[in-house]
Amino acid sequence: MTFSMKRLLAIFNKDYKDLTRNLYVSFTLLVPLVLAAVFGRQGIDSIDLYYMVFNMALCLVAAYIQCSLIAEEKEKNTLRGLMLSPASTMEILVGKGLLSFVTTILVIGISAYFLGYMPENLLIVSLGIILSTVFYIALGTALGLVTRSVMEASVIIMPFVFIFSFGTSLSVLAEKYPILQAADYLPNSQLIMIAKEVEMGTGLAELWSHFGIIGLWVIGMALITMVIYRKRMVD
Amino acid sequence: MGILRISELEKHNEHTVVFPAFNLEVSEREVVAIHASTNVRTTLLNIIMGGASASNGVVYINNETIEKSRGTFLAKIGGFFLQDGLYERLSVKEHLSFYQSIYGSTLAVDEVIRMVQLEGKRNQRVGKLSFSEQRRIHFSRLLFQNPDFLIFEEPDQNIDLETKRIFLKLVRAIKEKGKAMLVLTGNMESALAITDTVYRLDDKGFHTLDIRAEDNEKDLAEEKSKDELGNDEVIVQPVRFEKIPTKVNEKIVLFDPPEIDYIESSDGQSLIFIKGESYPCMFTMTDLEIRLHPYGFFRCHRSYIVNLQKVREVVTWTRNSFTLVLTDDKKSSIPLSKTKMAELKGMLGLK
Repeated sequence: MTFSMKRLLAIFNKDYKDLTRNLYVSFTLLVPLVLAAVFGRQGIDSIDLYYMVFNMALCLVAAYIQCSLIAEEKEKNTLRGLMLSPASTMEILVGKGLLSFVTTILVIGISAYFLGYMPENLLIVSLGIILSTVFYIALGTALGLVTRSVMEASVIIMPFVFIFSFGTSLSVLAEKYPILQAADYLPNSQLIMIAKEVEMGTGLAELWSHFGIIGLWVIGMALITMVIYRKRMVD
Repeated sequence: MGILRISELEKHNEHTVVFPAFNLEVSEREVVAIHASTNVRTTLLNIIMGGASASNGVVYINNETIEKSRGTFLAKIGGFFLQDGLYERLSVKEHLSFYQSIYGSTLAVDEVIRMVQLEGKRNQRVGKLSFSEQRRIHFSRLLFQNPDFLIFEEPDQNIDLETKRIFLKLVRAIKEKGKAMLVLTGNMESALAITDTVYRLDDKGFHTLDIRAEDNEKDLAEEKSKDELGNDEVIVQPVRFEKIPTKVNEKIVLFDPPEIDYIESSDGQSLIFIKGESYPCMFTMTDLEIRLHPYGFFRCHRSYIVNLQKVREVVTWTRNSFTLVLTDDKKSSIPLSKTKMAELKGMLGLK
């Protein structure tokens, strides 16, 4: 079965229309936007706060939307019909991932505008955000394969929202509890480090270790997703 | 060579037999219905679609089995299942365009909307349609998919007459294109409305349900001999017996003929239907036909006797396929065979 762009776009288009009319899911898009608008009006100017909003957007948009798009297909019994169609599973997942990706980039872009955040080096920061988005979409796909309904999806995403959007504050406690130093290696902390170093004018060459760690997360998550996929999609 | 070939397929569940080994071949331009219980139906469907394995036997489609390549095997099957879902937030038109592009079909969306008669609702959301209209959307998927072999699970369960008419019309059109179709249903009437080739599958085996016209004549001969016997009985019995005895939990219950809605024959047992409930009767269909004839009962089909007082509508699907709709609460529908239609017209004075 060959990979077809037409089918992929058909799935993208279908999910886009479905999503715009699904208030339960599209409402979560507003959370990072409202937060960004409020912080922006208050004139807060701190990288940590900016990235709390961005990380929240990554979790609530990239991971959650991807997860609920897959879970809803299962809940409404439409996945079987889709699996029996000529569209391969890869096309289905990529079509959905593409939609989550575009939405995430849009939400982060608008949030950055509201916050008045303009990085020193747009290219490096964008690269970091894009890489992180891929990680969160892989996370969402894995969770979507495990959950059976949108309801379950919105519960299961909660711990991840806490870890990845507020997790950065854990490193403050790291002096007291050394084990929490591990939090520095989470992809969200790495993204913040990239952003901070960019503000100090560091170039891409010195940042490769941070990109490497995020890259490892992406590869790890992709592998986990593959394993879950093999297990779950046999039937 | 048949498109679908089932060879020595059987299924046991622990120690119970779901269905014993049977063979079936469905060729081009052929529609075959299997009348089976829910359990047998879902098991058979699961086996064909690769969801469960059979105890023995193989299913071939175009001489290929599911083991060889799951994807290409399933791609050849067009399924019409009860459990299928729809994207409720899409409009009818968007939903069909999605099917069109996912199957890469050249069929125009508007054309299909017209075929399933949803023109007036093209911009309405699928979730707001009635159940029957949603089933039409399911059916439209098969038109875009255009597979060689189609399988229907309870195609006309809970749908309105209009949808059934559209459905039967499209089934005939698909048949003309040289496709093979298999209908799995627990309702004899819906099986008979779609095709003349009906089988019954249960734990006892796979039986042909003979509904060809020649059999009617044989039946008539039988009836004549029974007729004479019946006359003899009347002579012996001085009081004319007017009630119809049925058996309920070892008790014998007597019913007045006008109470009866219709009588169905199932596995050689006649079942009397009264207000939606069925009671097994000790008499054969032929006996009942003779006894009930004076009360305005009519043998409308080899396996059915209907109380003409309770008939509300005679629906014509095609020139050779008819259904009687009754006045009871469930609006039961009963098949009317081609040969009996002329007789009925005579009785109604519509020569």
